[in-house]
Amino acid sequence: MNIENTKAQMKKGVLEFCILSVLSTGDHYPSEIIGKMKDAKLLVVEGTLYPLLMRLKNDGLLSYRWEESVSGPPRKYYKLTPLGKQFLKELELSWNELVDAVNKTTQK
Amino acid sequence: MNRTITMNLGGIIFHIEEDAYDRLNKYLSTIKGYFKESEGCDEIMHDIEARIAEMLQGKVSNIKQAVLLADVEAVTAVMGKPEDFAGESGGSEQQNKSSNSANSDGSSNAQSGRRRRVFRDTDEKIVGGVCSGIANYFDLDPIWLRGAFAISLFVFGTGFLLYVILWIIIPEAKTTAEKLEMRGEKVDINNIGKAVNEEFEGFKKRMNDFSNDVKSPQNKERMRSTMQKIVAFIGEVLRSFIKFLGKGVAFFLTFIGIALMIGLLATIFGRGTISVFDSPGASIHFSLYELSSAILPDSVPISLVVIGIILLFGVPLISMIYRGVKFLFNIKQKNRIVKYTANVLWLFGLALVVYIGIQIGTDFSEEASVRQNMNIIQPKGNTLYVDLKPSSEDDLEITYNHHHKIRLGDWTMISKDENKFRLGYPVMNIVPSTTDNFELVAVKSAQGVDRKEAEYRAKKIDYSINQVDSTIQFSSYFDIDNADKLRGQDVKLVLKVPVNKVIFLSKRMEKIIFDIDNVNDALDSDMVNRKWVMTTQGLECIDCDGLENVRKHKIN
Repeated sequence: MNIENTKAQMKKGVLEFCILSVLSTGDHYPSEIIGKMKDAKLLVVEGTLYPLLMRLKNDGLLSYRWEESVSGPPRKYYKLTPLGKQFLKELELSWNELVDAVNKTTQK
Repeated sequence: MNRTITMNLGGIIFHIEEDAYDRLNKYLSTIKGYFKESEGCDEIMHDIEARIAEMLQGKVSNIKQAVLLADVEAVTAVMGKPEDFAGESGGSEQQNKSSNSANSDGSSNAQSGRRRRVFRDTDEKIVGGVCSGIANYFDLDPIWLRGAFAISLFVFGTGFLLYVILWIIIPEAKTTAEKLEMRGEKVDINNIGKAVNEEFEGFKKRMNDFSNDVKSPQNKERMRSTMQKIVAFIGEVLRSFIKFLGKGVAFFLTFIGIALMIGLLATIFGRGTISVFDSPGASIHFSLYELSSAILPDSVPISLVVIGIILLFGVPLISMIYRGVKFLFNIKQKNRIVKYTANVLWLFGLALVVYIGIQIGTDFSEEASVRQNMNIIQPKGNTLYVDLKPSSEDDLEITYNHHHKIRLGDWTMISKDENKFRLGYPVMNIVPSTTDNFELVAVKSAQGVDRKEAEYRAKKIDYSINQVDSTIQFSSYFDIDNADKLRGQDVKLVLKVPVNKVIFLSKRMEKIIFDIDNVNDALDSDMVNRKWVMTTQGLECIDCDGLENVRKHKIN
């Protein structure tokens, strides 16, 4: 199996968590979210985001509003819903546990 | 210089070169293809297109007014390869999609740990959704179940009852959760939404596709192949049914073969009597052993007969049993040697039987008869009374009923004891006497390999009469020695009556008289119990008054 594939799978696992985290700092639109993750060196293609955002919104974790943009088509600004905030908190806990466990497992 | 296309992307108008447009179009179509199955596909596409439009806007200006291929490539690089991000949409959508396109009725692959329950699928039902529901549970094509039910309707309608019972006890999948459970798909928000969407989209699509699909050659092919499958299936069922029947017949034949074999062996080796026939015309109650010893010439040992018969009849019987068993148990081995041996043995048996037949036949080649005058005392008066021996012991019919007896029409043979056979009946005729006396001649005849032997046998026939005053008592039988064998021995009696003398035939005599000439043209049955006088023309009835069929003749 392709190493790239495995790496991609790893990233996919944490993507939701990252998105929610980014949005916890404020409302953003998709390319902003990508930008912030790029700053943190989490490289994801934009296309990945759209369906994911759609799903999170359908699950009730996010909501959006439209904003007219000066240059270009109107943008969707996403924000966390209360449910989303709760979800995020749980994921944080889960993430910490996971990190501990994986570290312990991979220690030689 | 290139041609450009005017394009509307995300509400923004672009001039885009042809090749760039094709590339972008392909890109977007591919993405759309990946998201077709998921909910909110349109919205996703809209978002993506808007984002692309935004990015392209940054690439055009007053100086560079058209979108080039390079621009599209740059943008799609940023967006990412469709297969990469399409996998993001809610848990292996891609896998779902490819698996969905493989199964015709949307049933998912067996995902481990998914809950499955049997429901009736009322969305895809023909009658009550029973077959669809069960098929969903097992990931089968419902057509097989429907076929099975349809065929079972012909078998005393068992299928009908079963179907109704299933219809009653299996619940209908009403809620979306139940519908998902029916197919084994995990019940969660995604799938429910997906299912609902599916319904709706599916309905629209069905309406649209219906008119197209019905006429499409592809569907016709599919229908034809399904028909072929059905026919093949029915053919298979019929074939197995016939095979089953065949097995039943084979079993039956084998059973009969074994039974006949046992019978044959019992007949040959048993000394007891086997009753083969019992009808008015003929009856055979005899043991084969006794019969053979009566018929077989001494030159042929009885063992040869036994072997011959066993081979002649036994080999076909055994081969029938053998073949039956083979067929029943699907044993295929063809043993050449066995077949060969069987044929040879049978031919040998046939040869033996033929040989024996010839041997017996030659013993019958010559016939001879011997005339013996039997002494009778003349009656005191004019009338001679003629009767059968009264003792019941001598009556062939009574004593020897069902014991060691063969009867064919008038010919009867009884095994009297160790040494003798008793044969019946002798035949009597009445003719005018050439002298003044009553006379009795016994004509004994027999057959043999030559005249001498035939004569010898004839002479050895033992026939006796008894006379008490004016009554002669005749035996209804004659005896032969075992050693003389059954060789067509026969006794004819000629009773000679002088003219003007009277003879009275008792009722019992009916048994041995045969077509006696008389002037009145009376039948044998009418002649008995009457007096007859011998005239120059023949016997004439004295006390036949009142008989219908009898011609009256004046006594001269």
